[in-house]
Amino acid sequence: MIKLILKKLSITFIAISFTVISSVASAEITITWPSIWVGKDSKTTVIGELIDEFNAANAGSIKVVVEEQTDYDIYAQKLTAQIATGELPDIMTVGAQLLDVLHRSGKAMDLAPHINSDPHWNNVYPENALQSAMTDGVLSALPYELFVTPVTYNKKILKEAGYEEFPDNYDDFFKMCEAVTANGKVCTSQMTGKNGWTSMLWYSQALASAGGPDIYEKGLDHPAYVKAFEVMEKMYQYTTSDAIGADAGVSGGHFLNERTAVFMNGPWFIARYTSDGIPGLHENIGVAAAPMLMGGEGSPGGYVGGRQSSLAAGKQSDPAKEEAIVKFLKWLTIPENVARLSSSSGAMFIVNADLPNDMDRLFIEMKQGISDAPYVAPIFQNGIGSLAIASEFPQALSALALGDVTPEGAVEMLQDAE
Amino acid sequence: MKIKKDEVGWLLLFITPTLILFTLFFILPILFLLASSFTNWDGIDAEFVGFENYIKLFNKKSFVRAITNNLYWCITAALITVPLGLIIALLLSHRSRGWKVFRTVLFVPQVVSSAAIAMLWAAVFNAEYGLLNFILDNIGLSDYKNHNWLGNVRTANAALIGFSLCYVGYFMVIMLAKTASISEDYYDAAKIDGASQIQKDFYITAPLIKSTFFLCIILAVIFNLRQFEYVYLMTAGGPANKTQVLVVYIWNELTVQRLGRGSAAGVIMIALGAMLLLLLRRILKSETYN
Repeated sequence: MIKLILKKLSITFIAISFTVISSVASAEITITWPSIWVGKDSKTTVIGELIDEFNAANAGSIKVVVEEQTDYDIYAQKLTAQIATGELPDIMTVGAQLLDVLHRSGKAMDLAPHINSDPHWNNVYPENALQSAMTDGVLSALPYELFVTPVTYNKKILKEAGYEEFPDNYDDFFKMCEAVTANGKVCTSQMTGKNGWTSMLWYSQALASAGGPDIYEKGLDHPAYVKAFEVMEKMYQYTTSDAIGADAGVSGGHFLNERTAVFMNGPWFIARYTSDGIPGLHENIGVAAAPMLMGGEGSPGGYVGGRQSSLAAGKQSDPAKEEAIVKFLKWLTIPENVARLSSSSGAMFIVNADLPNDMDRLFIEMKQGISDAPYVAPIFQNGIGSLAIASEFPQALSALALGDVTPEGAVEMLQDAE
Repeated sequence: MKIKKDEVGWLLLFITPTLILFTLFFILPILFLLASSFTNWDGIDAEFVGFENYIKLFNKKSFVRAITNNLYWCITAALITVPLGLIIALLLSHRSRGWKVFRTVLFVPQVVSSAAIAMLWAAVFNAEYGLLNFILDNIGLSDYKNHNWLGNVRTANAALIGFSLCYVGYFMVIMLAKTASISEDYYDAAKIDGASQIQKDFYITAPLIKSTFFLCIILAVIFNLRQFEYVYLMTAGGPANKTQVLVVYIWNELTVQRLGRGSAAGVIMIALGAMLLLLLRRILKSETYN
């Protein structure tokens, strides 16, 4: 009996020893990154390559593991819940609308000390880019991706409708839509599903055009909000029958398949014109600033856009892990790596990177547009400063499009949400 | 049954683990929900705001609509889905040729992921390429060629609730199982008395599975009160909040970090559920459904 007990105790002791030894020996730090740059996203390939290269270079010491998050909205909702519970992932991609909450939670790693301890980030970021992203001296997220959302249009469809140039004001724009419709095509791609993204971008353009780039400081009572909804009301007369309830996939899909003539999205969509569009689509695409509202406070050629994704990390208790995370974030912000990302996807980044000479024509045109733009106003979702109002926007828009409310009523819905 | 004194210790011993789990995972969360419903908790900070969340909720059209829609779901389930399940169960209880195939086909939606089914139906209802519009167009109803079923205020709710009838199989199987336990003696006696099949169904089978039928109604009401995935995946409460339901509403409040107001909505939902169940208990006047 005693022999049996001793035997069992010895086996248990050996097993525990092996577990302890193996865990000490394999001191590899695992960094988890729930990433949205997976699946159909245009940055998927290069981000995957960068992670593989980083893991290979740090084999045995650091390993970055990606948790695929293919739905942007669900990802943002998950992050919101994680911020509330304090269970943040090691690395995350944060949209502009969550930056304030992330900072207030105090659960994010403060990256400011790492800026001072190593010149890397000061060298690769434009002057003041990091300082302006700080709140009270704390850098909760590293600004990373930039965006602007000019109009992209199908030159072939417009030409068939008798238009060589994209209209610069909404009166002419809707005349063009009439002509496109008469020609058997649909003028614009719209959506009210999820966060109403592409329609929200149109609304943001109309809003900046009507009320100027500082419209969000003027409050929801400003008449520009109603005027912009009047534009949207008309816009929905020239869209596909499935626009109400459609998501970004449907909205973009119509343009990629040449069913609609005009589409609005960020530069990250450039790669998809070739990869997912019908053959020859990319050659037919033109880039233009959004039309202007006559008598508005905005300026011709004004863009909307701003900070898209920022990189953030959860607060760490283990200094070694914190260092590993910072090392990976630095890897993602090396100019050569950023140039690869930008070149493959068309996305724009804040980091100073020497882009190759053979960048996509649309990317160059968009960049030129930004240089010439008198302003880049924030998009409605980020500028309005309220998650509740941003979340109500698709419902207000669908109510407007269905004739359930007037433009004034749509603004009231937004006010009511707050 | 009277509990003997020396059995009390054993009784407590057996009940305690369940009681602890029930308290931890049910009572405490409800108390927490109740407490947070009186605050403006945003996931980070919280201040006591009294009944403000409740007042704001009942002043919001979209919240009142969510309650109304949930009641529609419950009423449809109680008055259409479950009775339809009963009729099918009665028909299949005859064990006619091929009854097992029908039973399996009707039960299939239960074993398929609800997310997959929601996506499938969203495709069926699609305005541009949907199967439904294609069929309607081909049978001469060209007015519906590009009708956006889920994006139209008049049809969105009907389309959502209509497709939920697919779940008739769940209740059918429960009631069909009950029919199997009915003694053949009743049917033999009825046969001698010259009863037709319909008479047997309505005077023997239906009354004997009444308690199961009532149970199905209660289950249907509970399921539909917490309706979430189909609405969330197919319309997200839109268009114009017309298909909003309580759980989606709560979810939306949580995603915009109004956790206090979301908690208040949760408390209202629990209260509504309790009231509905008490009401049903009273209406059905059955002591055996549970």
